Amino acid sequence: MNNMWGSMEQFSHIYWPWPIAIYLFLAGLSAGAIMIALLVKWNKHEDNTNSIWDAMVKAGAITGPIAISVGLLLLIVDLGKPLSFYWLMLKYNFVSVMTLGVLILCVYTPISFLFAMIIFEKEIENSKLLSFLSPITKFIRSFAHLAKYVEYILMILAICVAMYTGFLLSAIQKLPLWNTPILPLLFLVSGFSSGIAANILVGMAFFKGSLNKDSIKYLLVLDLRAIMFEIPVLIMLFLGLHFAGGQAAEAGVQAITHPTYGMMFWIGVVAIGIVSPIVIAATALKNHAYRPVYIVLNCFLILIGVVLLRFFIVYAGQICTGL
Amino acid sequence: MKKYVMIHDENLCIGCQACSVACRNENDTSDGVYRLQVHAEMKGVFPNLKTNFLRHSCVMCENAPCVEVCPTKASFQTDEGIVLLDESICVSCKYCVLACPYDARYVDPITKNIGKCTFCFTNRVAGGEQPACVTVCPTDALTFGDANDYNSEVSKVIATNSIKYPKSELGTKPKLGFVENKKGGRYE
Repeated sequence: MNNMWGSMEQFSHIYWPWPIAIYLFLAGLSAGAIMIALLVKWNKHEDNTNSIWDAMVKAGAITGPIAISVGLLLLIVDLGKPLSFYWLMLKYNFVSVMTLGVLILCVYTPISFLFAMIIFEKEIENSKLLSFLSPITKFIRSFAHLAKYVEYILMILAICVAMYTGFLLSAIQKLPLWNTPILPLLFLVSGFSSGIAANILVGMAFFKGSLNKDSIKYLLVLDLRAIMFEIPVLIMLFLGLHFAGGQAAEAGVQAITHPTYGMMFWIGVVAIGIVSPIVIAATALKNHAYRPVYIVLNCFLILIGVVLLRFFIVYAGQICTGL
Repeated sequence: MKKYVMIHDENLCIGCQACSVACRNENDTSDGVYRLQVHAEMKGVFPNLKTNFLRHSCVMCENAPCVEVCPTKASFQTDEGIVLLDESICVSCKYCVLACPYDARYVDPITKNIGKCTFCFTNRVAGGEQPACVTVCPTDALTFGDANDYNSEVSKVIATNSIKYPKSELGTKPKLGFVENKKGGRYE
């Protein structure tokens, strides 16, 4: 269509730019980190030298709240009117996925901080900077018998956070790459896998003293499974678009052959994010040997792959519409 | 209850853009963005060419995706079915812009609010006047009125023409309809 009046710019604008992609990544990472911390905490290991409070639990408890806070900050900054964001918490529209997301995050974020305070109770009381919080930790301690329920609720909320980010995009009927029911599952799986990678990195960097090699082995196995599971989910995404036909099929082809975003998908998501971790797991980390350098490399590659997956979905979704 | 409908007869439209200018003037639209555009689309192989003039603006869906996704209900529908925006509670999350299947919304570069065609509801129609674009159309290609009133001009146009409602497969039930350009040249 050629116009004879005015500019076409407003029709091809990227309305949800990079802060949204990073937010989607951080929300998935936060939810994944919390899920992993809880899974590790719930799984008792036989030769557990320290306690159940090992590095992976601590890493998840600190990564979860920080990642979601940074993500929410980006989300607010990206609003056209950032200072009016409070309306999101005062006015609700229960058929809007965004409202549901706000409600979930309003419960998830404080509970993730509560979880961090429970896990770091001793550290907070012993530190000079944070000791002013000790009345709060003592208060929390008096409800210790409810801790298990907090964990169960947090687990459910983390799954909801990871999936809602997918539903947020899939509610947009106009964009074929987004409007697919597979997106919430893809985001849940990749968020989970990024949470594992982030936990291992944070745990190895900051909580070396309580590092439990069994936990790392357990998580690396789990991550490998998550990545393997991502392959059929990605295939389902594009096959789904293909079988939907018409505009959706065209959009799928455009996305994976796009000069920028197609490259981002094949090199970033597939080669770096999926193939290389599998290769590392099959060679250097065979039998899940504890080799720190390769574990760190593996985790970085996974994180890069997951960030680029979010970028690919957000940008290619808005650009490759099959028209 | 009134049901405001607008019909754009593409056989009568000559692409003069008077409607677009009138809209900018009436609604004080910011530079660089448009509530209403008329695109010219040339079709065919020389010498058998024809040009279609296509109106691009909000189609006032009955089941509006923009209203559905809006997290604060800043996008809302009046009792008459006009889709409007309450700027005081809009946070400009741009979810509605992405949700609109008709690309009818934009972000105002100055106020950062979401802009769209309103059928001039608050400034003209509520006071009994016609939308600005309709009043200036020199060929009467635009007809606007209450489709529930069988004596209205727009009801007569709907009764005597085959009306195309864009993307009707989406089930959004637009209230901006089109009389498609037939062979062309009848009025040229």
